Amino acid sequence: MPDIRLPAEAKFKNELQALAAHDDKPRPPGWALSPRAVETYILGSAKPVGGVAISPKYVGDKGLVQVCIATLASDRALMLAGEPGTAKSWLSEHLSAAISGTSALIVQGTAGTSEDHLKYSWNYALLLAKGPTPEALVPSPVLRAMRAGKFARFEEVTRTSPEIQDTLISLLSEKQISIPELGEVVSAQRGFNLIATANTRDRGVNEMSAALKRRFNFVTVPVVEDLEQEIQIVTRREAELRNDYQVGVPPPAELSRMLLTLFQELRQGVTKDGQTKVRTPNAVLSTAEAISVLFNSSILAEQFGGGAVTAKELAASLMGAVVKEQEGDVKALREYMETVAKERPGAWKELYTASKKLLRG
Amino acid sequence: MDFDLLGRVHLFPVRHHSPRTTRVLVPWLARVAPEVVLIEGPCDATALMDVLCDAETKPPVAILGYRTDDTPGSAMWPFADYSPEYAALRWARSHGATPRFIDLPTGVSLALGAREEEVPPPLESDAVAPVADEDEDEEPLTERLAREQGYRSFEELWEAMFEAPDWTPEGFRPVLLAWADLLNTGPRRDYHRWRDAFMARQVLEVVASGVAPERIAVVAGAAHVAAFVARDVDPALEARLPAAVPSAVTLIPYSFPRLSEQWGYGAGNRAPHFYQKAHEASCDFRRATLEVLLDFSAHLRLRGFTATLADVLEAYRLALTLTDLREKSAPGVDELREATVATLCRGDATHVDAFLWRSAVGHQVGRVASRIGKNSLQAEFWREVDARRLPRTDSPETFSLRLNNEVEVGSSVFLHRLRVAGIPYAALTGAGQQKLKPHEAGGHAALSRVRETWEAQWTPSTDVALVEDIILGDSLEAVTTRVLQERLDATRTTAGSAEVLLEAVTTSCPLTIAAALRVCDTHASTDVDLPSLAQAARALSGLVAYGTSRAHADAGDEAVARLCKKTFSRALLRLREACDCAPDAVAGVLEALRTLHEVALAQPGVDKAGWLTEARWLMASDTVHPAASGLCAGLLYLAQELTEAEVAREVRQRVSPATNPETGASWLEGFLRVNALVLVKNREVVVALDAFLAAMEPERFRQTLPVLRRALSTLGHTERRYLMENVVGARKLTAQGGAAKAVLAEKDKAKLKDMSAELGKALDDLDDLL
Repeated sequence: MPDIRLPAEAKFKNELQALAAHDDKPRPPGWALSPRAVETYILGSAKPVGGVAISPKYVGDKGLVQVCIATLASDRALMLAGEPGTAKSWLSEHLSAAISGTSALIVQGTAGTSEDHLKYSWNYALLLAKGPTPEALVPSPVLRAMRAGKFARFEEVTRTSPEIQDTLISLLSEKQISIPELGEVVSAQRGFNLIATANTRDRGVNEMSAALKRRFNFVTVPVVEDLEQEIQIVTRREAELRNDYQVGVPPPAELSRMLLTLFQELRQGVTKDGQTKVRTPNAVLSTAEAISVLFNSSILAEQFGGGAVTAKELAASLMGAVVKEQEGDVKALREYMETVAKERPGAWKELYTASKKLLRG
Repeated sequence: MDFDLLGRVHLFPVRHHSPRTTRVLVPWLARVAPEVVLIEGPCDATALMDVLCDAETKPPVAILGYRTDDTPGSAMWPFADYSPEYAALRWARSHGATPRFIDLPTGVSLALGAREEEVPPPLESDAVAPVADEDEDEEPLTERLAREQGYRSFEELWEAMFEAPDWTPEGFRPVLLAWADLLNTGPRRDYHRWRDAFMARQVLEVVASGVAPERIAVVAGAAHVAAFVARDVDPALEARLPAAVPSAVTLIPYSFPRLSEQWGYGAGNRAPHFYQKAHEASCDFRRATLEVLLDFSAHLRLRGFTATLADVLEAYRLALTLTDLREKSAPGVDELREATVATLCRGDATHVDAFLWRSAVGHQVGRVASRIGKNSLQAEFWREVDARRLPRTDSPETFSLRLNNEVEVGSSVFLHRLRVAGIPYAALTGAGQQKLKPHEAGGHAALSRVRETWEAQWTPSTDVALVEDIILGDSLEAVTTRVLQERLDATRTTAGSAEVLLEAVTTSCPLTIAAALRVCDTHASTDVDLPSLAQAARALSGLVAYGTSRAHADAGDEAVARLCKKTFSRALLRLREACDCAPDAVAGVLEALRTLHEVALAQPGVDKAGWLTEARWLMASDTVHPAASGLCAGLLYLAQELTEAEVAREVRQRVSPATNPETGASWLEGFLRVNALVLVKNREVVVALDAFLAAMEPERFRQTLPVLRRALSTLGHTERRYLMENVVGARKLTAQGGAAKAVLAEKDKAKLKDMSAELGKALDDLDDLL
């Protein structure tokens, strides 16, 4: 059985190989590609490189991607901050894949993340049998990245406890991990660096210390505000998902446009024509959420509907996305439907009718 | 036109305010060694060159051309230290060559400006850069070209292609010309073509006067030079230029913040301070970046943020790496900004936008050599600003004046004069603890202020206004007098003329004071508008009381007092008729009644007895608007002209169950407008109110509710509490009332706090009950 989800370096192997083959610019030590080629890989290229079309992985400000790459080429680590669902992890995965050739050296930050996850732990059976030996050592992704001179990824830094964040400080400044049991110090090889992500909605959960902040260059990944750009991102990603999971039918362009218009209007609290104020729900209406709504409705249509995505499926998936945290959000959506969707022609009417049933009560 | 001759002249294309252009221009001039240097700039400003090159003159400065007929109009041609035109001028001065300006005279530019509103000042509308007035929807050619080259804006392209590389004059000239040629293929405004023709003729005239063309250097905007080189100049176009309007030129200080505002016009100055740094470092943009980053970190530390030297180094390194990544030769404004956000500001652009970027723009204000013929208004302004130590920078500064000594009163008069004359410099933002809005700066309140808070900021427009206003008078006092006189001539009411009178006192303009008194007198005799008369009476009364607290208000207190009395009596005569008014006029009338009452009590000179008689009549009258009666009852009670019993009787009569509820409510509204606290504390009054409300039929109650709500909404927290207490007492609601009473009797603060929760609950209960 094929994997549900391939890591970026496997999925875009062709592109990476083509870029590497045609990359004549100098590469920083330990890098698989030159910074320029990394940029091309992330932002895509209109003309094929070595006969391979380079698809855009991140759609948005070129300057932002350049700052990321320039940071990674220095000895500072990169912090991608932003609202949930703004493609921080996505960007981090692709940067690691392009620069280090792997995006798998990843630590997921949680409240339960311990120092072992950052440094190393032991295979206790071996440890008991043979004592501390290199074979009994279970290296953390960070340790493996240091040894191999590759990028480690640290997701959701702000979710981890202050102790873990402090450990991170010393890792980033010393660039080495000592293993006293083996009498060994592992120093990072050239090419090692770390990409972390942090959620700005989590601010205050475990606010990073000034000392930790100083180890990073920060790039804030913005919420997409341009409608056309967001439609492009969502339809592209949704098509990829359908392909990966081999399920769903393609939704019509009109519906994608409607969905994104709705998302942006709810997010910004005002309609596109600037005429009507709408209430903003508390739920996170990210681009990622829009992708999941669209994908969800395409599955609904295929499995339980008439084989084509209609406003009905869209409305059903929308409920789950928008109305997830609070009662007030139901109200916000209902108000939106009554004041905005009702007045609009075509698919909007259908969306209004379909959602009316679901929103009752 | 003899293009061959023109072709033999040394032409050098420039972009205004470009440090790199300046850097390559100077060695080029040294090599060409011209005898005459012709520079783009208004030709009638050639006489100002002495002052421009004076050692005392410090850029940024601007040539200001202004109209001398009675139409307002002016235009500016700014120069920074790094402007190539300025460099050419100074080079010529120090190397024995003759510099001359060759662009349209200011009179013609101003005539063009008047004819076509949107023509930007000539120097800023250089076709090397985006022209601001192209069709809004259409992307300017420059921006499109920049995008095609992979840059995000034309400014970025300019920096990357022209500013950053270490050009030689030989390399720079053809590249800039090629760029200008490319842009000239697009649509070009007629106006620029006319200027081409004018400047070409000027150049040829110098040749005709006997200077060999090889000994002439022309330093002009790249678009013009490209047109000369391409021989695309039509001499016939010059005839289309309008006739010059009467105008004059002078030199005024300019500032970096204004220079950066102009970058929309293509003067390429997103960050003048950054460019200045680059200029000082011989166009080493790396060094400029580092210096500005150090400035940034100092600013951040000043505001309590952490910004270490390590952060600065990291920012600098990031800027350089970005530069390499973008294949530029040196960092520019974009790299500076992005590196700052990612490192010093931890990914958050708000600090950069809020305050950091201002230090990349800079605050620097230029200085003009003292020997320039400053007009008398400018001279007065700068003399006063220096003597009084008022702010002279182009960033807002707040200070306060205590009006208890002559010096600070003098400062206040000076600032009020500027305000009245409409010269943008300072705004009154507060008086003591009180915050003020711009329109509250003058008026009767100004007389009694002992403390004024001002926010002042010099901008070039201050000097522009000073230069333009010279037609109104040659001293600030004369200008203010003139402005006030015009206002006085336009006013038709007593209140209007009294207001001018007050402004005249605040600004110490004796001539206007006398004139305004006369006009006020005339209007008072014929004015039939009560609010206007009341306002005038208050203004005059204030003047009688406080007039002497300001210097030089020697208008004759006698005359003011007499006029005050007259206006007041006149207002009394108008009272009865005015109070019988339509509902929409009642608000103004009520305001007037209050004003008159204040004046009657405060001003011994006026007919107090007359007012009290009238007020009693109004109170008793059934024909006037009930709100007016109510207000008078309230006022009289407050002034202790009515006893408790009398006021209670009045309330019982007016808001008895027998009266029409709307009338009653309206009366109540007027009544409660006065100090509501005193009224609701009176048990008798509250009992009467209670009876009135309780007796109303449900249907009527609903009808009256809006008026009632409005009447009672004026009550504050304390008033509500007293009202509640009295209601509790009147109704003998002991159970819930007990708690409230205990609180009211308790003086101990700590205990009060404990009890307040209890009280809140009790009040809620009462709310339900009532």
